[in-house]
Amino acid sequence: MRRYETVWVVNGDLPDEEVKATIDKFTKIITGQGGTMVGVEEWGRRKLAYKIEGTFRGYYVLADFAGQPPAVKELERNFRIDDRVIRYLTIKKSDQVDLAALEAEKAAKAQEAAARQKAEAARAAEAAAAAAAAEAAAATAPASAPPEAQSTTAPATEEAPAEPAVEPGKEA
Amino acid sequence: MPAVPRRRRKQFFVRRKVCRFCVDSKLLINYKDTTTLRQFITERGKIIPRRISGNCARHQRHLTRAIKQARLLALMPYVPSPPPS
Repeated sequence: MRRYETVWVVNGDLPDEEVKATIDKFTKIITGQGGTMVGVEEWGRRKLAYKIEGTFRGYYVLADFAGQPPAVKELERNFRIDDRVIRYLTIKKSDQVDLAALEAEKAAKAQEAAARQKAEAARAAEAAAAAAAAEAAAATAPASAPPEAQSTTAPATEEAPAEPAVEPGKEA
Repeated sequence: MPAVPRRRRKQFFVRRKVCRFCVDSKLLINYKDTTTLRQFITERGKIIPRRISGNCARHQRHLTRAIKQARLLALMPYVPSPPPS
């Protein structure tokens, strides 16, 4: 097994689903040819240095994998067929692959990705909580309005009705 | 004090050029690292010759390949696009 790294550029005018579809398709080709994926890195949409197929935008995807030479051949054959891919480049990183080390690296990368995802989810939850709190604060601001009216204007969150209940108590 | 000429006849100072990749082993040549690669092309997009940049043969070879790979992926230009008029 050899270690390879392939970058392909998807036409940047295509929607995200198409990009994801290419990632799915090509990782399947690699694994289908007896290869092992180590990781997929998405660089995202970038401006191209020159116009390709009438566009200046491209979505870059990098795949890190180990496999046999025929796998690369098959992969590149499919790149040439697929119209969504405007450029590809495969680099051989090493001739020999230590499978145990590869698995360890893969696990580390997966863990890292999971941690990143978790952090992102936490951040999203925090943002949602902050938004809810802000909404609740906004709901308390027109304190003159009756509590029933407040609960109808504020979206049905747990914090929104609770907050106004506390506020009048404080004022009293 | 004027600069000391290396040869008596020619009255210019020749600064010794060193290969930046040999000096700094942390600086790696990679087609993905366009910020480094861009230092070795002219504003016309041409690869700066060894004679000018002072790179050693080995590193110039690696650099040239990396620049060409980056060009293929449209990370770097073959010819810079003209500014919008």
